[in-house]
Amino acid sequence: MPVIEVENLEKSFRIPHEKKTTLFEALTGIFKPESYEVFHALHNINFDVEEGEFFGIIGENGSGKSTLLKIIAGILYPSSGKVHIRGKITPFLELGVGFQSDMTAVENIKTYGTIMGMSKSDIKSRTDDILEFAGLEKFRDTKLKNFSSGMQVRLAFSTAIQTDPEILLMDEVLAVGDMDFQQKCLDVLNSYRKEGVTIVFVSHDLGSVRRFCDRTLLLHKGEQIALGNTAEVIDKYVYGEQEKNISEATHNVVESDPAILAEDQTSLNNSRWGDQKVEILNVEFYDKFGNLSNRFNSFDVMTIRILYNAHKKVLDPIFGIALYSEKGENLFGTNTELRDIMIDHIEGKGHIDLKIESIPMLSGRFLLTVAIHSRTHDPYDWHDKLYHLDVIPTGRDAGLFDVPCKWII
Amino acid sequence: MSIKHIANLYAYRQLIWQLAWSEFKLRYKNSVLGYFWSLLEPLLMLTVLYYVFSHLMRLQIENYQLFLLLGIIIWNFLSRATGIGMNSIVGKPSLIKKIYFPRDIFVISSCLTALLMSVFESIVFALFMIYFKVPLSIYVLQAPVILICLLILSVGLSLALAALNVIYRDVQFIWAVLLQAGYFATPIMYTIEIFPADLRSIALLNPIARVIIAARDTIIYSSPVQTNDLVFMIVAAVVFLFAGYFIFNRIEPRFAEEI
Repeated sequence: MPVIEVENLEKSFRIPHEKKTTLFEALTGIFKPESYEVFHALHNINFDVEEGEFFGIIGENGSGKSTLLKIIAGILYPSSGKVHIRGKITPFLELGVGFQSDMTAVENIKTYGTIMGMSKSDIKSRTDDILEFAGLEKFRDTKLKNFSSGMQVRLAFSTAIQTDPEILLMDEVLAVGDMDFQQKCLDVLNSYRKEGVTIVFVSHDLGSVRRFCDRTLLLHKGEQIALGNTAEVIDKYVYGEQEKNISEATHNVVESDPAILAEDQTSLNNSRWGDQKVEILNVEFYDKFGNLSNRFNSFDVMTIRILYNAHKKVLDPIFGIALYSEKGENLFGTNTELRDIMIDHIEGKGHIDLKIESIPMLSGRFLLTVAIHSRTHDPYDWHDKLYHLDVIPTGRDAGLFDVPCKWII
Repeated sequence: MSIKHIANLYAYRQLIWQLAWSEFKLRYKNSVLGYFWSLLEPLLMLTVLYYVFSHLMRLQIENYQLFLLLGIIIWNFLSRATGIGMNSIVGKPSLIKKIYFPRDIFVISSCLTALLMSVFESIVFALFMIYFKVPLSIYVLQAPVILICLLILSVGLSLALAALNVIYRDVQFIWAVLLQAGYFATPIMYTIEIFPADLRSIALLNPIARVIIAARDTIIYSSPVQTNDLVFMIVAAVVFLFAGYFIFNRIEPRFAEEI
């Protein structure tokens, strides 16, 4: 039996060009036609969430995730369509809603606990636990305004997790804290999950989504793109938006058009050199489905394609790449010479691929240098850190790179 | 405003009370001195008005101090209830935008805050009653009915103002002016007889005027409330409440988007 049913949900906002915020303006402007724009935040959304399910919602900024969550919470009203809820909803859209800076910690626990739906007796019996968990026992009668922001968040979080939710709505605001705090959040989520609480989880952190969510909904510009198995939906998110990725990928391309070259010359001077006997036209990244992308799941297959144009016949060229962290540390480099690949000659347009069987980088942005040079190391065309790709974590290990290993007890 | 809604509000009674109580404490800065200062305000008002009207204007009214103080307390209640209530939605953006409750809870709890403040002020009134040895009669039992009408009326008024204030932010200034005018159009400092006969019937259209007169009659002057006044007040309370809910419910869906 689904506890959340969303049917044909539409939400649009009317954004007036000139907003009338006073009665005076409304009266004086009564004969002026109101001009406004309609922004379609959500369009034709349909899904169910089953009892005890951990349901993820992903999508880039502005895709309508938070709007959807607010409609489920009852904060916003849908323009049309139905949302059916069975059970008590506890929204964690923001921590410390209703905190009063002029009140003491204990008083705020009382107010916030009540807001979060705790009973009076529960609040009374749990106040000490809350303060202890937040590490604020000494400050129980200190006014909130004298707390650091970290202390306030700890207090809010410790209070919020004392509630016994039936349906929990989580926005990513919880992910703002430090590593330790985030871990605490995730631990709490896990224990709720074990207790059979239904959770709707909105996040940019695909690692957490992959780890927790049974099913996931992908939104793109208010449209429902995919719904179902989390791993498949994340794949769609990472590799799906080809249009966007191509435009982003080609953004880095160095055009051979002389006019543009001249214009970009100054900025490119430091990152491109060579005698141009062979020119690198473009560098493309292909995902495991054979689509252009510059966003990859770690451990997935990827192919780097170097498109070149040899203006005349060039003998024995060497193709190379080097991989850098975002800070510019060289992480890896290889070329056809080091791998004992002999290329007799090249002429005209062509391409060469470098296939990576399993991307070992864990997470983050990586820069790529691509070069073609002669065996005597005279560069034909050298593109220094002109390309980048983003790696999205699939596991939970920390750091830049995966080291194949296992624990033995 | 249905039975279901009332049941729903009852389920939220703890929250309503908690919000009202914490607001009350905040108003008095959580200190004993804060409570003390807050009593000074009506007392000071009383002193000034008493001096002006009984010595300069030579108004002859029996127990004028009590007459005046009760009028001030009732008017203060209305002015605070609508003042706090009107800002209860626009003043709490995070509670409106980040979590959901039936939004009338905020207005109702604001009126309760005002009620708490008025109850607190009434302690001074009670002390005055004892000091001037004013006898109480059986009719004082009618007073709660009158005051409940006042409370319901204030809730209705606050609901409408709170909702309108979300869309038109100058409603609060317009209301402040209306309150100021009302202060003089209502028999607070003087009796209703001071108005000429033709204006008197207009002044009596103001339900607060009747509330103040009825409250004085039952509490200070040991006389019963007039039946027509009582009917008028009850009808006014019900009309204001329904009108308030009507306006509030019309605008409520836009709250989270407009704030």
